[in-house]
Amino acid sequence: METLTAALLSVLPRDSVITDPVRLRTYECDGLTYHRATPGVVVLPATAEQVARVVRLCNDFGVPFVARGAGTGLSGGALPREDGVLIVTSKMRAILEIDLPNRRAVVEPGVTNLAITEAVREQGYYYAPDPSSQQVCSIGGNVAENSGGAHCLKYGFTVNHVEACEIVTPDGDLVTLDRMDPGYDLLGAFIGSEGTLGIATKITVRLSRAPEAVTTVLAAYESIEQGGQAVSEIIGAGIVPAAIEMMDALAIEAAEAAVACSYPEGAGAVLIVELDGPAAEVERQFARLREICAGAFELRVAADAAERAAIWKGRKSAFAAVGRISPAYIVQDGVVPRTALPGVLAAIDRISAEHGIRVANVFHAGDGNLHPLVLFDDAEPGAGERAEVVSGAILDLCIEHGGSITGEHGVGVDKARYMPRMFSETDLDTMQLVRCAFDPEGLANPGKVFPTPRLCGEVPGVRKGVHPLVESGKAEQF
Amino acid sequence: MIEGATVRQAGPEDAVGGVLPRWVALPESVEEVAAVLRACAERDLAVVPAGGGTKLHWGAPPERCDVRLDLGRLDTILEHAAGDLVVRAQAGVTMGALAAALADEGQELAVDAPFPEDATVGGTLATAPAGPRAFRYGTPRDLLIGVTVVLPDGTVARSGGKVVKNVAGYDLGKLFTGSYGTLGVIAEATFRLHPLPAARRWVRAEVDAADLPGIAAALAASQAEPSAAEVDRPEPDARPALAVLAEGAAAESRAAELRELVGGGEISDAPPPWWGLVSRDETLVEVRFPATGLAAVLEAAERAGLAVRGSVLSGRVLMAPSAPMEPEVLAGLRRRVEAAGGRVNVLVTPHAGLDRWGQVSALPLMRRVKERFDPGRRMSPGRFVGGI
Amino acid sequence: MDPKLINDCVHCGFCLPTCPTYVLWGEEMDSPRGRIHLMKQHVEGTPVTPEMAGHFDACLGCMACVTACPSGVRYDRLIELTRVEVERRHERDPQERAVRGIVFSLFPYPRRLRLTRPVTPLARRMAGYVGRANPSLGAMAALTPRVERRERLPRVVRARGERRAVVGMLLGCVQREFFPQVNAATARVLSMEGCDVVIPPRQGCCGALSVHAGREEQARRLARRTVRVFERAGVNTVVVNSAGCGSSMKEYGELLGEEPGFEVRDLSEFLAELGPVAERHPLPLTVAYHDACHLAHAQGVRSQPRELLAGIPGLEVREIPESAICCGSAGTYNIFRPEAARDLGDRKAKAVGSTGAELLVSANPGCTMQIAAAMRRAGDDIRVAHMAEVLDASLRGVGL
Repeated sequence: METLTAALLSVLPRDSVITDPVRLRTYECDGLTYHRATPGVVVLPATAEQVARVVRLCNDFGVPFVARGAGTGLSGGALPREDGVLIVTSKMRAILEIDLPNRRAVVEPGVTNLAITEAVREQGYYYAPDPSSQQVCSIGGNVAENSGGAHCLKYGFTVNHVEACEIVTPDGDLVTLDRMDPGYDLLGAFIGSEGTLGIATKITVRLSRAPEAVTTVLAAYESIEQGGQAVSEIIGAGIVPAAIEMMDALAIEAAEAAVACSYPEGAGAVLIVELDGPAAEVERQFARLREICAGAFELRVAADAAERAAIWKGRKSAFAAVGRISPAYIVQDGVVPRTALPGVLAAIDRISAEHGIRVANVFHAGDGNLHPLVLFDDAEPGAGERAEVVSGAILDLCIEHGGSITGEHGVGVDKARYMPRMFSETDLDTMQLVRCAFDPEGLANPGKVFPTPRLCGEVPGVRKGVHPLVESGKAEQF
Repeated sequence: MIEGATVRQAGPEDAVGGVLPRWVALPESVEEVAAVLRACAERDLAVVPAGGGTKLHWGAPPERCDVRLDLGRLDTILEHAAGDLVVRAQAGVTMGALAAALADEGQELAVDAPFPEDATVGGTLATAPAGPRAFRYGTPRDLLIGVTVVLPDGTVARSGGKVVKNVAGYDLGKLFTGSYGTLGVIAEATFRLHPLPAARRWVRAEVDAADLPGIAAALAASQAEPSAAEVDRPEPDARPALAVLAEGAAAESRAAELRELVGGGEISDAPPPWWGLVSRDETLVEVRFPATGLAAVLEAAERAGLAVRGSVLSGRVLMAPSAPMEPEVLAGLRRRVEAAGGRVNVLVTPHAGLDRWGQVSALPLMRRVKERFDPGRRMSPGRFVGGI
Repeated sequence: MDPKLINDCVHCGFCLPTCPTYVLWGEEMDSPRGRIHLMKQHVEGTPVTPEMAGHFDACLGCMACVTACPSGVRYDRLIELTRVEVERRHERDPQERAVRGIVFSLFPYPRRLRLTRPVTPLARRMAGYVGRANPSLGAMAALTPRVERRERLPRVVRARGERRAVVGMLLGCVQREFFPQVNAATARVLSMEGCDVVIPPRQGCCGALSVHAGREEQARRLARRTVRVFERAGVNTVVVNSAGCGSSMKEYGELLGEEPGFEVRDLSEFLAELGPVAERHPLPLTVAYHDACHLAHAQGVRSQPRELLAGIPGLEVREIPESAICCGSAGTYNIFRPEAARDLGDRKAKAVGSTGAELLVSANPGCTMQIAAAMRRAGDDIRVAHMAEVLDASLRGVGL
């Protein structure tokens, strides 16, 4: 590490290389604090060329590297390597170009998601993907995780809104992946690859025209079942709202404690439905929505932007707000087909009761993306383990119902062990072919996404004996 | 020759880009596709997957082709979960049959595939044509949420799933979409669906070519949210026809708003006859460009003597000449289009030596992907960028 | 330090974009999340290293992170406790010690501060020279404002018209010595709005500067004295026109272990609660309102000053972009960390400049000095005024 550090100092300014142990430790985890590792060295490059140089040095020294943006990820995707370099893009935060005639912006990876929208809001445009952490999470991290957000029900994910990326490949080349270019859709494969295929250093995003009308409705129901029923009816009526979000009583309690969002008292579930589009369409959809939500005991309609923000406030703060009602918690992220929601929620209830562990539910009801918050007291012996069991059982439920182990938080280090439950060995081996094409040396964020890294020289097929990486202690067999 | 799958001798009608295969394999299941590919791997036979054959002449002819893998018998719609707005279908289902089945439930797959009567799910994905409504709904890759592929060695692999929101693992679907059969075979696909709009209205008008860029910019920025705006200019110097689509319960009033932006025209509940049609001529050029490149693209087409049809909003048009296109004409077109930030892809041409795709910055990476998936270069060899 | 306060942080990072030093440098250890991590390391046994102390010192204490935190982490409390710990354990280098010595034996003592007034014009002219010798002293010299004629305030200013309230008024140290006109305006506005204003003559520093620097003992001593003075004056409410002082006085309970016998209100907060009675005369002006951190973040007072400004006919209020980010003044920060303060000041000056406003209004003397100095540097001079001065002008029907 010392010789590598010296080499890094030859390509980066002194204050862009962090080696002090106390400082290094502040980078030991991202938004998921459960997994921690103090990085060998942290670098804060200011340009794409610097990133490329660092990566080339990692190749020269055979040292792994991990990219990190704002460190808000919830699957440990940016968990550092003790034997590796952590490349932090937080100094690369210039908006390089705003090109409204072509409806696009070119930004550096450290620019926050919300900063893009703020830069073009006055001109009537916005950047559509809106993860809950949008004021802090970086666009580079969004690209790595293929972030969604509340409004992806109608507008899709990061991958649907990125036109091009300049990337540093795992061997240190600067390459541009552009949707307009012919050839394989490497951009599509790169987005969501969680830093295992390289590091995005310049991102061209598509800007969307702000809708003419937005109507945000908060419907309070006695029970989560009634709320779920309303969701099915909305979809059944051929309405695609911009967002449909649901929170259960426990999640409402937390949000209330944190931001005093003043949701209707006594609600077993609140549903937030946002309609947007041409005014004439929104008006008609809203009329229909009112009929569908007739069963709600209270229906609030935001009259202006401030009231809309007030409705969203509780929802957007829900994750961190749970800290107010529980000393510790796990944020889970799973997906089930929307029609399976009622059954799955009932099953979560049962599991929760069985283990004596409370579960608060916050979810993107429109696309079946659950965010159960598994609450426990870390001071109570065994509670953490029971919470882990409940959290894992919820993922099993998702897989059973033909869903996914992650809708937006990514696999990272946290869920790599669940991948074999969702995918067969040949599925995973086939994904590894992509990995090997980009990163034959396995230096880019190793240990993430896939449970057992396969050496790229190996021929796919039945594995014999102990994997060399497992044998050498570099990987763990699940 | 191959256990468990029907194979017949190929005839002249089975040729791919003029290359005559020896056999045509007609598997009826994913397992049979895998069996065929395994057998071909053992015998080092080159394979070209085919669906309805409507776009098999797109892309370069294969370097070699021993087996034409006809997926037409994988024609089952496996699951239509209407409540989830998701459909899973085998590769050989035609786009027309799929649309009809979905329409029964008031839904649609928002890909305006050309030749829908014959074109299949697999072929549409492999060539990934962008239809008129790509501006609103994206291209096929944006609507594909899960895929089952068979690799050249017969390995069956899945990625994605049947939920729209899913970030587990790499998205092989994106990689295979638009790969022209060079990485393996798409056997099944799962798509996200949309409800059929309550109404559709087209604003149809003839406009001056010089006014088109301004109109297109206004349409793209319009909060009346057009789903598509297509231009048709059958002769290089003709006055272009423009058709703008509004979809939704309020389509009529929105179409009226859009007509203001176009500067007149009639509002109709049917598209013009040329809407979304793709020429079957022996030369077909695809031009992609940023919005501000429209004027330059139109001018380049005029100079090259090409007919133009396609989207002025999503920046993708198809051009066809009245006579075979000479290499120097292509070079001129490409120069002008690229200067405006666009790309020229020659999908169909009788000229063997023509540079179909131009320079691609990520080509070395693409070669590495090809090398991993198809180390024996047996899948549609030579058909795609850089002779991949 | 209480590990429980530290464990409230769930590491979500929502504080990052609001932190001035993270905005400047983009480094984890100079963000609230990173600093809390450093505190955790210290609590778990890591000694205070010079690096660690440097990151704590770099915190402006603007409390924007407290506003942004969805988990309710008491960063304000954490950083104060940490500063005490740093003062106790960390040996500073001699030059740094000397500067801190000057500041803490000068600013909290109005009388000593008064002695510097005759030399302030000289100090301003010599700022560049002094700055080369010691950047901190240079910054201090450059910030000194032009001082207006001192106005001696009576012990009591009677209400005009019907008496609606009796309030005490804090004069502040910097406010009293460098901005006496602000105190005069404050007393007039309160009186015109129907308040008897009690101004105890023997009041000293409220202790805010010492609290923010971790000088706990000095802070307690000054706080006790302030409490005594106002309790003797017999008022139930003390109105404060300096945001930094107000936020500290609101936390006397926590500092002293018992609540004082009066409530503390910022001027805007108090006037908004009281409701207007005096006639507002038109002031045809465009103003940019600057949220002082110790008002907006520490006291949660954001809407009231805007409402008061909006109540003045002819006056147009413009919002400053990035209004939640600190201007870099932050009490004594611009003296101890002149480079960072200067960068933040330049950033704020640019934001203020972008509004095109004619007048900058704020509720804190430190901010006013800092932003005015930054705008002077940028050659984009702007007139500045305290909230009280604007209201005073409108109520009296005179120009500003």
